[in-house]
Amino acid sequence: MDFALAPEQLLLRDSVARFAAEAARGDANGNAWKTFAELGWLAIGAPDDAGGFGGPVEVLLLMEQFGRGLVRSAYVSQAVLAGTILRAARSALLSDAIDGRRRFAVAYEEPHARYDPSQLQTWVNRDGDGWLLYGSKVRVLDPSTADAILVSARTERGIGLFVVPVTAPNVTRNAFPAEDRADVADVTFGGTRIERDALLADETEGFAILERGIDHATAALCAEALGLCEVMLETTVEYTKTRQQFGVALSSFQALQHRMAEMYIELELMRSMAYFAAGALDDPDPGARKRAISAAKAQVAKSGRFIGQQTIQLHGAIGMSEEYKIGHYFKRMTLVERLFGDRDYHLRRYVALTDTSARAEVGAVAW
Amino acid sequence: MNLTYNAQERAFRDDVRGFIATHLPVDIRAKVQAGAALQRDDYARWHRILYERGWAAPNWPAEYGGTGWDAIQRYIFSEEIAYGWAPRMLPFGLSMVAPVIIRFGNDAQRARFLPPILSGEEFWCQGYSEPGAGSDLASLATKAEKASDDTYLINGTKTWITAAQWADWIFVLARTDPAAKKQEGISFMLVDLHSPGVTVRPITTIDGGKEINEVHFDNVAVPVANRVGNEGEGWTYAKFLLEHERTGTAAIAVCRQFLVQLNELRDREGIDDRRIEERIAEVDIELTALAFTELRVLAAEATGGRPGPESSILKLKGTEIQQALTELALDAGGPYADVALAGHYYNLRKASIYAGSNEIQKNIIAKRILRL
Repeated sequence: MDFALAPEQLLLRDSVARFAAEAARGDANGNAWKTFAELGWLAIGAPDDAGGFGGPVEVLLLMEQFGRGLVRSAYVSQAVLAGTILRAARSALLSDAIDGRRRFAVAYEEPHARYDPSQLQTWVNRDGDGWLLYGSKVRVLDPSTADAILVSARTERGIGLFVVPVTAPNVTRNAFPAEDRADVADVTFGGTRIERDALLADETEGFAILERGIDHATAALCAEALGLCEVMLETTVEYTKTRQQFGVALSSFQALQHRMAEMYIELELMRSMAYFAAGALDDPDPGARKRAISAAKAQVAKSGRFIGQQTIQLHGAIGMSEEYKIGHYFKRMTLVERLFGDRDYHLRRYVALTDTSARAEVGAVAW
Repeated sequence: MNLTYNAQERAFRDDVRGFIATHLPVDIRAKVQAGAALQRDDYARWHRILYERGWAAPNWPAEYGGTGWDAIQRYIFSEEIAYGWAPRMLPFGLSMVAPVIIRFGNDAQRARFLPPILSGEEFWCQGYSEPGAGSDLASLATKAEKASDDTYLINGTKTWITAAQWADWIFVLARTDPAAKKQEGISFMLVDLHSPGVTVRPITTIDGGKEINEVHFDNVAVPVANRVGNEGEGWTYAKFLLEHERTGTAAIAVCRQFLVQLNELRDREGIDDRRIEERIAEVDIELTALAFTELRVLAAEATGGRPGPESSILKLKGTEIQQALTELALDAGGPYADVALAGHYYNLRKASIYAGSNEIQKNIIAKRILRL
């Protein structure tokens, strides 16, 4: 175990940080997919022979900086979630995804599923040598920029994953105004005809691959949350040092000092869990991986909510202003808390995955 | 960055696990597992076994008989101690005074004091707090006056001293220059508890425990040779020690044991309560976060040379988690439950008070990390 960054990891972090700073100033398009492809960011985690490099640690470094710069991109949904699924399915589409030639969204969550990907009613019927796809998916991230959607659906024998071009017939996209103006839509398939080669992963592995993808995306969000919270704490500390009331800086009051100390502690716990999540992604035991990811997301959601709320409180009224940056970090954090499962969902999943054998090495950081 | 144990680290873990399984006396293991109070002899026997294996002092440099382990190995060792239901060594000699003697003492002091700490022959305790000096430790009033060129006379009272009833030696912060500014007139003394003029009086705590004491010094003669470092610089050494103390008190290992005991309690009592279940999971997760934080702090210490102010997180959160676990045991067991863990609830209210209260830790984070 070693927490020091290798030289190439430092380079990656610094180049993402420069990009994120430009995006934050409005000098770069945070969703510049072509740039991502050129810089190799879409190849992170892919196999060497596909031109890939790095893995979960590199995603963590990138997403932490995206969080710091409040970069709005489809990286988590299209590069991490879809990318992990394509990789795990050994799909020939992966090289297009890495090159940025084609972009993929993922549709898995359904109405009333409460984040649980196994709760699905979308199904396919055989239709000649292809299928007809029926069902409704909610909160599909970044569909507008996608060329195709990876869809989970029931077959007669289980859950499979299918690639559905956005231009396929009988696909209805119902975009709604997201609280952060993100690109999100509910997507309905009303007997969408898909071809034989649309099967990405069959019933033997489809659901396991989907779960793997969601875990990778969740870990990436934990890293984004870390970056968001770093900036919220730094900004709060600076603000209280500058803001004068009763003739002194706000930072001189012990009640506020202790609150910021608590924010710092939560930030460090969150950092540890973002690392912990990244380290767990390659665990050969899927149960251990899922348990670790749920632990991380539950902690990140808790710590992030505290830091976000206290950032607004310690800024006072200026924190409520749309013009001031801190409220936007707070709102993004509040979304990140709930994306891919909120604290309650992940606590329940954690409990369900904690059996007697897990208890014997409870909280162990050893894999 | 590599976020998992490598092959050597896993082999080391198996080695430690195997040793504890085969060498820890069964009666000591049973006591730890039952949450029963350990006696001096229990600590001494286990210490001797580790000493013979060369593992008594994981945090000392190899040249003084330490293991020479890196931060990760030390972490793994403490984790295995917990899994194997072995006692944690008392910190006062091994983890507190010894690093000060190694760092700031002279050769004669190292030769006299380190070997019996290493072998477990001499027990130590810590003479910091006083009736009038708690969080404001530097206001201490115990005096050490030169009676001759080679002797100090110590007068005063130290209190809340864990394990003084067993100890042979005590390290004492005493004022050698009453005219100097608060922090500047303090010296760091090594005092033989068997000296004439020393009185040890037990203080019974709210849980019925008799592990802490008041120690009174009435004209106790201490050789000048037992002063560590320079006269008047004791505060610097005391702060160095406190940072070590805070890394040691994260007590991840103890929390792990509590958590296992809590889960056993739940199974034994057939407690099928989703609320309790999720509360346990919350603490369990926070403990994992803290364990990983400790690994990060230890790794940073390995690069930076000594624990930084980040060790305050470990102290603060570690004690909060210990308290949360005993609170859960209390709630899970109900009134008058025969649950050893719940008994710790009262005892461990001390955890957020000792080693610099948790409010003091927040002051440290605010000042030294956030620069407020």
